[in-house]
Amino acid sequence: MNGDERWDDDVRVEYQLPIEGEEQARDRAIRRLRRESATRGIGAWWVDPDALRMRPALAAACVFAVLLIGAWSGAAWMASRGARAPLPPIATLPSGSTAVTFVFRAPGATRVSLVGDFNGWDPDATPLARATTGEIWTAQVPLQHGLHAYAFVIDGRDWEPDPSAPLAPVATFGRRNSLLVVGEDRAL
Amino acid sequence: MRRVLALALASVLLAPGRASGDESEEARLRARLEPELATPVIEVVRSAAAQGLPTAPLVARALEGASRQAGDAAILDAVRRYATGLAAARRALGSTARAAELDAGAGALMAGVPEDSLASLKRARPSGSLVIPLVVLSDFVARGVPVADASNAVLAATRAGAADPALLRMRERIHERILRGEAPTGASREGLRELLMKTPGTPKERGSREPREKGRP
Repeated sequence: MNGDERWDDDVRVEYQLPIEGEEQARDRAIRRLRRESATRGIGAWWVDPDALRMRPALAAACVFAVLLIGAWSGAAWMASRGARAPLPPIATLPSGSTAVTFVFRAPGATRVSLVGDFNGWDPDATPLARATTGEIWTAQVPLQHGLHAYAFVIDGRDWEPDPSAPLAPVATFGRRNSLLVVGEDRAL
Repeated sequence: MRRVLALALASVLLAPGRASGDESEEARLRARLEPELATPVIEVVRSAAAQGLPTAPLVARALEGASRQAGDAAILDAVRRYATGLAAARRALGSTARAAELDAGAGALMAGVPEDSLASLKRARPSGSLVIPLVVLSDFVARGVPVADASNAVLAATRAGAADPALLRMRERIHERILRGEAPTGASREGLRELLMKTPGTPKERGSREPREKGRP
């Protein structure tokens, strides 16, 4: 055995010798870890960056599910407030006309229709559709640009003006009509 | 020669359209009215067409009366009065007034708005459309604002350069005030004051006093 080999053996033996206090230090570390685990509450879990591990596909599925639930909840809330759902657009409009959405609140009505100079004041020509809540009635009608008079007919009997629209100045046949201007700055 | 040919061609091309339009209106009237009513109503419609007045509002009045199951006399009277209103509106607004302006003007006149007020509106907005000012004016009258106050409010706003959206906002505010229980006159004055305060280039003091036309109510 030459000198180098003897030096190597000495180093090896030295490294294999137990370090003074190593056992006590390891015990202390284990006890501390156990104590910390026991005192960690739910709050700490939420801020721990390593607390949750998830596969990317599962994470994406979770995000999609949350969005779906949100959209469904929003739609249900809107319906409960009586807001009207978006109506499908009218595919083709005659030249010089605009699609106008009429909304009327008629609690207890079984049938509501729209009458005006655009449909010959025919109560059967333009029925309104009942919205989800049952009080709101809507119809979307393409109207030529210009001034229009109109009213709502409830259950085929009562003619009512639109409470949100300008009124006609004269009640020609007993009740005033509403007025609508299409194609000026906007539908009025 | 070319001009004559062009005119002849135009008349040939346009005549069927006009004829079919008139026939269509008459056919609708005959389909919905009893013959003894349809005939005099069609006479009124033809007379209006001969004067160059819009006929669609007259047909609409007749059909509305039929749908509301009004009596023949009431329907014929309504159509005649509307035709008179259309002619008066054209006198006030001029021969260049569009059909919708005449329609709105006729309604305002029938509610008691004087022809002078319509003519003043035309002078206040010589090139723009008067449909929305006239509709706003009619709405004020319908909601109980005295004709003079309603005319004054719309005229002052138009003279101040208020655009249609501003007029519509004024209408909404006045409507809200009336719904809250304010007197229509006070509501219209406050609505006008608010509009004038917000209209660019309008002296603030004009908002506190309503400008009136000399000799007008």
